[in-house]
Amino acid sequence: MRPISRRQFLRSTLVTTGLTAAGLHASLAHAQAGKPYAGARIKMSQVTHAYGDGLVARLPEFEQQTGIKVEIDQMSFPVLNQREDLELAGSSGAYDVMQMIFIRSGRWIGAGWAEPLNPFIDNPQLTDKAALDVADFVPGAMAPFKRGETIYALPWLADSTVVGYRTDIFEKAGYAKFPETFEALEEAAKKIHTRQTAAFVTQDNLHWIFPNWLLSYGGSFFANPPGDLTPTFDTPEALKAAEMFTTMLAKYSPPGGLKLDTSMSQAIMQQGKAACYLDGMGNTQHIIDTKKTTLADRMAFTHTPRGPKGHFPQLAVHGYFINKASKNKNAAWEFIKWAVGKDTMLWSALNKGHLACTRASVLGNAEVRQKFTWRGSDLASLHLAVMKRAGEGYMAYRTVPQFPPVGDRVIIAMTAIASGQTSTGAGMKALQKDAEAILEKAGVKINRRG
Amino acid sequence: MLIFVVLCPVLFIVQMSLRTGLDAFQMPPTFPFSVTLQNYVDLIEGKFVRSLVNSTVTSTSTTGLALLLGVPAAYAFSRARIRATGLVSLWTLATRMAPPIAFGIPFFLLYKDLGLIDTRLGLIVIYLTFNLSLVIWMMRAFFDGLPRSLEEAAYIDGAGVVRAFLRITLPLSAPGLATTAIFTFLLSWNDFFYSLILTRSAAVTAPVAIVNFMNYESWEWGKVAAAATVIMLPVVALSIVVRKYLVRGLTAGAVKG
Repeated sequence: MRPISRRQFLRSTLVTTGLTAAGLHASLAHAQAGKPYAGARIKMSQVTHAYGDGLVARLPEFEQQTGIKVEIDQMSFPVLNQREDLELAGSSGAYDVMQMIFIRSGRWIGAGWAEPLNPFIDNPQLTDKAALDVADFVPGAMAPFKRGETIYALPWLADSTVVGYRTDIFEKAGYAKFPETFEALEEAAKKIHTRQTAAFVTQDNLHWIFPNWLLSYGGSFFANPPGDLTPTFDTPEALKAAEMFTTMLAKYSPPGGLKLDTSMSQAIMQQGKAACYLDGMGNTQHIIDTKKTTLADRMAFTHTPRGPKGHFPQLAVHGYFINKASKNKNAAWEFIKWAVGKDTMLWSALNKGHLACTRASVLGNAEVRQKFTWRGSDLASLHLAVMKRAGEGYMAYRTVPQFPPVGDRVIIAMTAIASGQTSTGAGMKALQKDAEAILEKAGVKINRRG
Repeated sequence: MLIFVVLCPVLFIVQMSLRTGLDAFQMPPTFPFSVTLQNYVDLIEGKFVRSLVNSTVTSTSTTGLALLLGVPAAYAFSRARIRATGLVSLWTLATRMAPPIAFGIPFFLLYKDLGLIDTRLGLIVIYLTFNLSLVIWMMRAFFDGLPRSLEEAAYIDGAGVVRAFLRITLPLSAPGLATTAIFTFLLSWNDFFYSLILTRSAAVTAPVAIVNFMNYESWEWGKVAAAATVIMLPVVALSIVVRKYLVRGLTAGAVKG
């Protein structure tokens, strides 16, 4: 090896020192300009959604403000479920910010895959707490992502179950307003249902729809989640709820009504082939899309019916969290603050039709209220009311780690009962047995019921 | 009539791709309908073209490499008189002895460490791993069906093993090569599972990209149908081009006792 001369050594030392100083100067300049993470590159995963489209559209603004480069990877819900699960289990750190799917939150938070956000929120150097205003998120939307006082994700989407219905059809059948109980709805369905126009339509994710009946009739998935996860599908209340629900599917839904995805359900309403549609707000609101239907001026929205034990509309919440394996946690937090910020969410509601949002201030905004009021139905208030109601705690069954496989089994049971493959009693008994097996296999201690 | 019944799902998808979003759900479908190419325009303007390029690159590369490596291997297995031939050729099937999901997690962890996640190279390597055994076993059967005397005649005329293989055996195996190539291409082209778990956005292939039209709020059936039609086209075109060889390849040996 050739020895380095004194001159070469001095020259290279000078060059290195100069470059380091220049780099430091640039970093300091960025920091002084409020861009401490300039140059960081982060990647985010989320479901394909109008909210994600809105973020993509406004990304240049965020990148200019912070100097952080963001890649938003939007994918379908089934793909997102698989990928996020795999990424987190493999601790790959490929995504810095990820969508917290609330039915998986129990497992992901329990496994320590989500970074607690309190240290970021409580650090004044990282967060302007007044601007973030965590209290502005409706409690029902925050609940799935909190364990005690620890926050693991901030919500951007809360889908509340509501009903969209044809006022003209119900009025013709003698109903000045939509039936308020599930029994009254079934009575109305008997009068309304024809071969041309089904009385009722919903989507095929039945573990999302059935609980509207189940909880209203006093039934539940588990005895007392999250403490006691003994399944309770074989109780008289659960049987009654299953009977009522599957009757609506079997007798009063359109042909193929058990296997309709959200688009098909919406299209059936838009084409005038059903009188009412029960689903999440994010889906239901599309039935009045005047580009797709001429019947919008005959539609209205209302809350879901109640049962003998009360009113239990469902709430599906999705948030953003920092992947524990991320190497850019501060930059990721910077992005989350912006993505769920008041400005971003308000812009999305007004420009992207994102009504299923999670901030009370956005839902209370006069412009938003006006935009989402349709023929006397104030959708923003309807949504806010469901979020507040769900905040009372009855949605806890959905965030237990074992919910996803049990939920899948509920879909199978409801489909089998509604299609006449099995009786309600036998179907629910089989569901109970399978749910017990799933939970015991997962190591959950349950009190067998027979 | 039978052909119409068989092709019905394909025709349904194609006509759906030419309808507007609302019209696509008319049940029963209405005819005639106003044709629109908007779904295809949306595909071109979106990210689907990139996924189609990924599919084309990975499937073509896999097919080429699998034939390049697998065909000589199959020839060796067919002609070599070694005691372990049976055992070794059986072991080449090891990658097909379990469902893909059994290999999914190990490959994901390995790829994560090697930096092959979301790369075309990563997909090509994995498709090659699984298709090589198919090529070897299919081509071996074709080579077994060719009389050795033809090669022996070439040896007498002064040709070496390589020359005899390239000039005599390989041209005679053209139907087998075409069949094998099509199957290899199809398996790579239609793969969903490995593309789902080993790609993210840069190397995502068309079958996974189609699923991404299923939005949270509603599914874009028009785009799904248009993308499905586009995905079918290269396969149909390829099958038509090599149809003659394909039929001969599939029926080779069928009438032998």
